[in-house]
Amino acid sequence: MSARTGQLVAALALVALGTGAALAQSRGGTGTGRYTAEQAAAGAQVYAINCAMCHGARMEGRGEIPPLTGRFVANWAGRPVADLFAYVSRAMPQHAPGSLAPEQNAHLVALLLQANGVPAGARELPADEAALQRITFDPPGPAL
Amino acid sequence: MQQTAFIGQAATRRRLLGGALMAGGALAVPGLVRGQVLGTPSLVPMRLSPDQLVDMKCCLRPLRAAGPNLGTESVGGKLVVHNYGHGGSGWSLSWGSAEVAVGKALASLPRSVAVVGCGIIGLTSAVVAQRYGLDVTIYARDQIARTRSFRASGSYTPGSRIALVEPAGPQFPDLWEQMARHSWRMFRTMLGLPGEPVRFGDSYAVSDAPIERRTWPADPAITESFATAGLPRQNSEFAHLDSRIADIVPQAVPLPPGENPFGMPYATRSSQMHFNFPAYAAILLDEFFGRGGKFVNRVFHRPGELADLPEDVVIHATGYAARDFWGDRTVIPVRGQTGWLVPQPGVNYSLRYRNVSALSKGDGIVIMNNNPDLGDMLGVGDSMELPNRAPIEEAMATLAAIFARSAGAAA
Repeated sequence: MSARTGQLVAALALVALGTGAALAQSRGGTGTGRYTAEQAAAGAQVYAINCAMCHGARMEGRGEIPPLTGRFVANWAGRPVADLFAYVSRAMPQHAPGSLAPEQNAHLVALLLQANGVPAGARELPADEAALQRITFDPPGPAL
Repeated sequence: MQQTAFIGQAATRRRLLGGALMAGGALAVPGLVRGQVLGTPSLVPMRLSPDQLVDMKCCLRPLRAAGPNLGTESVGGKLVVHNYGHGGSGWSLSWGSAEVAVGKALASLPRSVAVVGCGIIGLTSAVVAQRYGLDVTIYARDQIARTRSFRASGSYTPGSRIALVEPAGPQFPDLWEQMARHSWRMFRTMLGLPGEPVRFGDSYAVSDAPIERRTWPADPAITESFATAGLPRQNSEFAHLDSRIADIVPQAVPLPPGENPFGMPYATRSSQMHFNFPAYAAILLDEFFGRGGKFVNRVFHRPGELADLPEDVVIHATGYAARDFWGDRTVIPVRGQTGWLVPQPGVNYSLRYRNVSALSKGDGIVIMNNNPDLGDMLGVGDSMELPNRAPIEEAMATLAAIFARSAGAAA
């Protein structure tokens, strides 16, 4: 490997590192505190009434019903929170899809973020798909 | 329960008696479970006590008004071949439907295809594509054992909630028949395989009154329909196509009193094909992976994401999930539930009485409680996917009473 190539590889590695960091906590991402603890608490109330019957009190799922932690992150992280919000708004609860108010769905999304290790902050999560399109669901990183 | 145990003993004794006297000549043991030299086979009574109930499953049949979507469209440069919306007939039409879908995929001369969804339709499509020499990757959230397909009952019902007459149009019955006949042929290639993925069993229906086939004439008092309400409003809107394949599918025959093994005034018997899910899935998965198939755990959030896949052709087989994923609002949930008892290997028959039935399979005895007055309308529009225990226990009690009554007649 020539010196020049070595420099190139090093530079590329730096870029890759930078990209990795950006992925872990994107600029418009949930890693910077995009929902409030109050919203998540309100979400827990909504969850207990509308969701726990299928997804379980601990979000553990059951057999065919997916858990809302763990592999949930693989399904939803790294993309706009709007996708998750839209899906919950449109398709859930399964026995009465679309029956929850936008605020309730935002509270549920806040709860889901919290349950998956995303930190709360001072800013409220908007109950608006267009605004949520600009917020990325940052993967929280490994649970240690 | 005590009485049930008594029947078991009586049955065992009579079976043994019947067997011992077979060589000796004629034998006439009255009532339940007689081992005759000719005529009815011996029946081991089902054990229907509540302690045997080990699982309850609930699923949503994806009734699509116009019948299964087997159309094609282009999304992000990919050819998407749909294969979803099979109502209560997914297992029963799986091979024929896969043949149609894969045929459309092959027409674009691909070397590989992606299959989205890994229920019975997706997995069968994948295997059929492999048998035609294609490289196949399945992209899905779950493999078959955790899909809605595994929450079916497993009985052969190719015409169950398969379409509504008007939206399906006049061409659909021919397509259905083609798929049903091909599937039937393919199921017959799976008979007798280890684990019995496909099996026939005797199916008895018993009644207090003569058994007649129920028909559903249109009720003129019901003015709404799928066209106006977005949901069917009465049974006459449903396509009823089973008679088209009555030449190959065993039909029920009335049993004369001497051949009726139950202490009920009227009985019919037919031969019912059914599927043992674990064995069936194992065979399909073994073939899929054995032919080099790949499974990728992936959830799609919108159709446009299919453009990211490396394959140029995608077979879309997400079943009920297509209602949301593809935004197909003509996919209508039809709720159904089953109770599952511990398997009873000596029991190889099913029994139906009024609204309740028990079907003995390798993977358990399936208990159902379906209100006959609702017919195809039962569960339409209901997407509650949690099981309800009470109707299952009620069904078990009703059937247990029939066995008790039969034992009384036999005593």
